[in-house]
Amino acid sequence: MMKTRAKKILVALSAAAAMGAVSTSYAEEPIRIGGIYILSGSAATYGEFAKKGINLAVDEINASGGILGRQVEMVYEDSQGKASVAIQAARKLVYSEDVDALVGLDSSGVAQGMVPTMPELQKPLIITHAATPDVTGKLCNAFTYRISVNVAQNMRAAALVAEKLDATNWTTIGPDYAFGHQSWEFFGNYLEELEPDVNLMSETNFPRFGAEDFTPFIDRVMDSDADGVLISVWGGDLVNFVRQANNRGFFEKDLELLFTVGGATEVLSALGDEMPESVHLSTRYWFDGYDNDINARFVKAYVDAYDGPPSYNAEGAYAAIYAYKKAMETVGTADGLAVAKALSGMSIEAPNGTVTFRKGDHQAMVGPNWGISGPMHPEYGIRTLTDLQIFNGEDVARSIEETGCKL
Amino acid sequence: MSGIGSALLNSLDIGLLLFIIAVGLNIVFGVLNIINFAHGALYMLGAYLAFTLINIVGMPFWAALLLAPLGVAILAVLIDRFLLRHIYSRDIADSLLLTFALLLIINESVRMIWGSGIQVVQPPQLLAGSMDIMGSSIPTYSLFVIVMGLALLAGLWFLFNRTRIGRIMRAAALDRDMAEVLCINTRLVVTGVFAFGAWLAAVGGVIAAPMRALDPGMGDKIIIESFIVVVIGGLGSFPGALLGAIILGLIHGVGGRYFPEVNMLLPFLGMALVLLFKPNGIMGKGAAA
Repeated sequence: MMKTRAKKILVALSAAAAMGAVSTSYAEEPIRIGGIYILSGSAATYGEFAKKGINLAVDEINASGGILGRQVEMVYEDSQGKASVAIQAARKLVYSEDVDALVGLDSSGVAQGMVPTMPELQKPLIITHAATPDVTGKLCNAFTYRISVNVAQNMRAAALVAEKLDATNWTTIGPDYAFGHQSWEFFGNYLEELEPDVNLMSETNFPRFGAEDFTPFIDRVMDSDADGVLISVWGGDLVNFVRQANNRGFFEKDLELLFTVGGATEVLSALGDEMPESVHLSTRYWFDGYDNDINARFVKAYVDAYDGPPSYNAEGAYAAIYAYKKAMETVGTADGLAVAKALSGMSIEAPNGTVTFRKGDHQAMVGPNWGISGPMHPEYGIRTLTDLQIFNGEDVARSIEETGCKL
Repeated sequence: MSGIGSALLNSLDIGLLLFIIAVGLNIVFGVLNIINFAHGALYMLGAYLAFTLINIVGMPFWAALLLAPLGVAILAVLIDRFLLRHIYSRDIADSLLLTFALLLIINESVRMIWGSGIQVVQPPQLLAGSMDIMGSSIPTYSLFVIVMGLALLAGLWFLFNRTRIGRIMRAAALDRDMAEVLCINTRLVVTGVFAFGAWLAAVGGVIAAPMRALDPGMGDKIIIESFIVVVIGGLGSFPGALLGAIILGLIHGVGGRYFPEVNMLLPFLGMALVLLFKPNGIMGKGAAA
């Protein structure tokens, strides 16, 4: 009799212990964040940079107690730069990997395809790189945010830079997809507003993305009347472009050149001193441009871990993880809908200053960085940016009506 | 020089680089009857080996031009011995699958070994900079690519038409059983041809390295271009590879310069027209090809 009772008690105790264990382990279940980046092929370096930024943020957060007392865990998927692959990846991350939130996207084309599927997943997405205005414009939705500069903001800044230059006949060389075409369209519209008598040439140049040989397009611009050129070629293409342009004597011509993604550190390190001096280079974040504690800590941690200055893509991804930390801690849960709501209008302190997700379109009010290529950096083997201008994110953003976003 | 002159020279350097790569693809198809999907990956390996030898080991470009393709050819011998050997007698679809798998493996290996960053290789001092030819600035390296392309073209023609090895290769391509009856060691020929094709791809890669940025997707870009060359020129045809490469070079060089609006469309339009009117390619032979 006693024996059975003792046994029952033991069973009850161990059951309680087990339940306790279950509930504790439930509380300690990590917060899972899914990252969708280009991790293979030509542009894999962008996914790599995002991962580096994210790793720093996750390590820092986990070392100081995690989010809501839970550790943070990343799960990555390769978008391969294709919208269909990214949509599959997002579904897999949400439905099979049980992630609480998503970060990612390196390409405008991918973002335009994937963003409309976000409401169906009921998880928040913070875009850290893709720049098409549409995803915080006509395609906007309650779950999609962007922490990085978009094409409209950057082209507004580009037009403000161009306004002060002598050029009157403007043309463009850009990749033949959404990014290249939208860059030219927004730049042209803003510049025309500022300088009504500017000539936007009909002779534009849109080489295939990944074209390898840009010489025909370089020659075409050199033979034309253009005296100002907006160059939105990026990544490995930009490296090829600059080297081929050097060969053709393109930089010796009297042209005003605006490189819309020319200040990307990965491009500058590949080119070294082959990137000419005194051309206008833009980037979404220049590591040397922000004098605040968070930036100092971020740059130091990055340089210590990876030898070399952080690219804009690393910074955006790093800040996105902190945005989730703040949103989840504000609402006290990792629930998708609640976190998505919390992000709206929220501000965080990031390496590039105070970043606010605007309520009306979920675009972060971050400012593009424009500078002029200067002498080589003594440590990193890249061109420095002189006369750096950091635009006010608010000033260069479209109004909510202009975005076409209805939330 | 007039705009058209420099556009033609530019077309020639694009075209002849494509020829060096596509002709290897064509020789392998002609003799072994396999379409080597990994051909672009071997080109990329050639470029990355050159990068290692020049930028890291510190060898001169010319040593890399000699050694890197040799290294890739040795790898090709291993691929042939351990993998391809087992599927030569099977349907062509099997070789497509196997070489596609090889492409994925090589691509990922390159990313793991060399990283995903963008790399550049400097041209040798002798070929750096540009030359002023009749008022246009032509990169000296472009002229080198053209000379290399023509030299390889002449060398290949000589190999196939004037040497015993070339005749053996052609015999093996025409009828492998008959060649065997005539006491030709076709196993050796097969291995040799596959390694030779890989060598050509890698030579293309080393030559491309100082003019094209290196990244782990460079093989995928070139294999698509090479397929277009081969479809236009004719699968398995040696002059076809030259013709197809020159046509595609002109589409990029002259088309990009004067008809940029339709530049993206032209290669595929060319391919579609050839498939409609000469389904085996301009230089392709009979339906069996």
